Amino acid sequence: MHSNLWKQASAALAAGAVASAARAADAAAVDELIAKIKSQDEKVRARAWLGAGQVGAAAVEPLAETMTDANREVALAAKRALAQIVHDAGRPGAEEQKKAVIAELPLLLGDRRPVAVRREVLWLISEIGGDESVDAVAALLTNAELREDARCALQRIPGDKSLAALRAGLGSLPADFRPAVAESLRARGVPVSGYPDQKLVPTKPTGVKPVGR
Amino acid sequence: MDKLKRREFLATAAAAASLPCLIPSGVLAAGGRAGANEKLTFGHVGICCMGSGHLHDIKGRADRGQVNLAAICDADDRHLENASKIAGPKADVYRDYRYLLERKDIDAVIMATPDHWHGVGMVHAAESGKHVYVEKPACCTIEEGRAMIAAAAKNKVSVQIGSQGRSTGDAYAAATYLQNGMIGKVSKVTCWHYGNPEGGTDPDGPPPPELDWDLWLGPMRWRPYNRCYCPGSFRWFLESGGGQIRDRGAHVMSCALYLMNADRQPPATIEAKGRAPTRGLWDCPVDMEVVYTFKDPDWTLVWSQPGHPPPKGDTGHNQYGAVYHGDKDTLTLYGGDGGTWTEKKARQFKVPAGGVEPYRSPGHKEDWFQGIKTGKKTIMNIEAGVAVANLTIMGNLSYILGRKLTWDAARGRFAGDEQANRMIGRPQRHPYHL
Repeated sequence: MHSNLWKQASAALAAGAVASAARAADAAAVDELIAKIKSQDEKVRARAWLGAGQVGAAAVEPLAETMTDANREVALAAKRALAQIVHDAGRPGAEEQKKAVIAELPLLLGDRRPVAVRREVLWLISEIGGDESVDAVAALLTNAELREDARCALQRIPGDKSLAALRAGLGSLPADFRPAVAESLRARGVPVSGYPDQKLVPTKPTGVKPVGR
Repeated sequence: MDKLKRREFLATAAAAASLPCLIPSGVLAAGGRAGANEKLTFGHVGICCMGSGHLHDIKGRADRGQVNLAAICDADDRHLENASKIAGPKADVYRDYRYLLERKDIDAVIMATPDHWHGVGMVHAAESGKHVYVEKPACCTIEEGRAMIAAAAKNKVSVQIGSQGRSTGDAYAAATYLQNGMIGKVSKVTCWHYGNPEGGTDPDGPPPPELDWDLWLGPMRWRPYNRCYCPGSFRWFLESGGGQIRDRGAHVMSCALYLMNADRQPPATIEAKGRAPTRGLWDCPVDMEVVYTFKDPDWTLVWSQPGHPPPKGDTGHNQYGAVYHGDKDTLTLYGGDGGTWTEKKARQFKVPAGGVEPYRSPGHKEDWFQGIKTGKKTIMNIEAGVAVANLTIMGNLSYILGRKLTWDAARGRFAGDEQANRMIGRPQRHPYHL
């Protein structure tokens, strides 16, 4: 009995040490990735973002920070690195990586992030997110700048929860946005009445007159 | 030149009453959609770049009394003003294409918008009862292509995709040579094309006052204006133009499907690799190779940037094209768009008695006009256009995701890849949706 307890404790300690070492390795890989993304050498930046998938979820938040870098090429490299992580995590058989990345992405949708970053994140969530992402995405249906992207993301995320969020939006969102939500529901196969399709309704006249008339 | 007289059209339609198998009912219905006068009436949506060429062409036909030119449309007032000088005072001008689609006197629309508008624009035109000539590539997503095919069928309109290489004499000669077995069984087609440019380094800024940026973006997600997007450089964004593979690939691989008689044969696997750009907004791979495998019959198609251009031979051209590898010989088709050339042996080939004679297009626009008049399938019909666009879309998707894709044609999905399946379509901004 005593021996078993000792073995269990030893195993727990060993597992903790392994996890700790893994975290340290993750942190080192993230630091290296971000340093290279911020390199002044475009080839170094490109190699870094192309390899970002191997760094994975741990790099998601630091990359979102780097997407606001004053150097647009650095910000662009960070954006591409984030996409690379999502594409890598979405590959068949990478369920654990995918779960880890999905857990990180909705955390980037808070108000403190710039609209451009959150817009990018919404579209990345739409590629791999599921029920666990819906609440954070649906919260942006009330954001004037991001509601279209949030609607599109919910349209793409499969499952009942995203559908329920769209249905709820149809009943509660501002009147001018409801036709768009209705369209998302139709795209998901839900019949919607009361909001006629507006796609063929012209709205944008020109001031140009035919030459010579 | 074929005159599209309304009385001819109605006579054909009347005759069709006794020949329902030859003339689809939709063409009969189309009689009610024709203009008030005797000729078919055209509207142009997108009048910069290729659109300007189409406008010159239709204006010439109008000046010769063959057609009417009723309206032009563009999201940029500067293009409208320039194009109005070409179209003349009789043509109305619009910023919003939906005004043009509302007009009952317009029978047919020529769409030469940026690529991200092709799918939505064609579907809306078909739903408005218009016959459509839409520039290549047909679509930017697999979902758009499906909607285009459905809209054309439901509304019984004639569609021609602007991969005009199929309508050239040399493509016909090459198809004839190949389909009569002159190079034996073809197991591989290798395309070559120069690479995509790197760039797009200008800063974002306010759009010029003449440009309706919201309308220009249309179905695509919102982003700030940047002059690196337009008018023509949308080409270098994967989301819109898709790079050379979707631009010229929609020509070169259109010819490949035509020569291989494979419009209805989707690929089994798609595997892409590429060299990403290292700076700028443009994100298409500079160099790229995509390998497509086809089953039953088995063959391989390779899209390669830059690939291995063969010698120019007697054609004097080798910027892009494809080499067809048979078990007896090879055949090269240079170019693939408006400029298409093949080897002398194919040009001089005469079909033996009982041999295969592929359909010969009378000219790309003339073929479309025949489609409008008779209801026959055009040479680059919507199904064929979508088939080749899908090749290019799948190639880019494999590059973006960094993995080989397997296409399950029976289910219309990628096998075992949920992320790729979500990317079959892309939700579109309201109200610019399918």
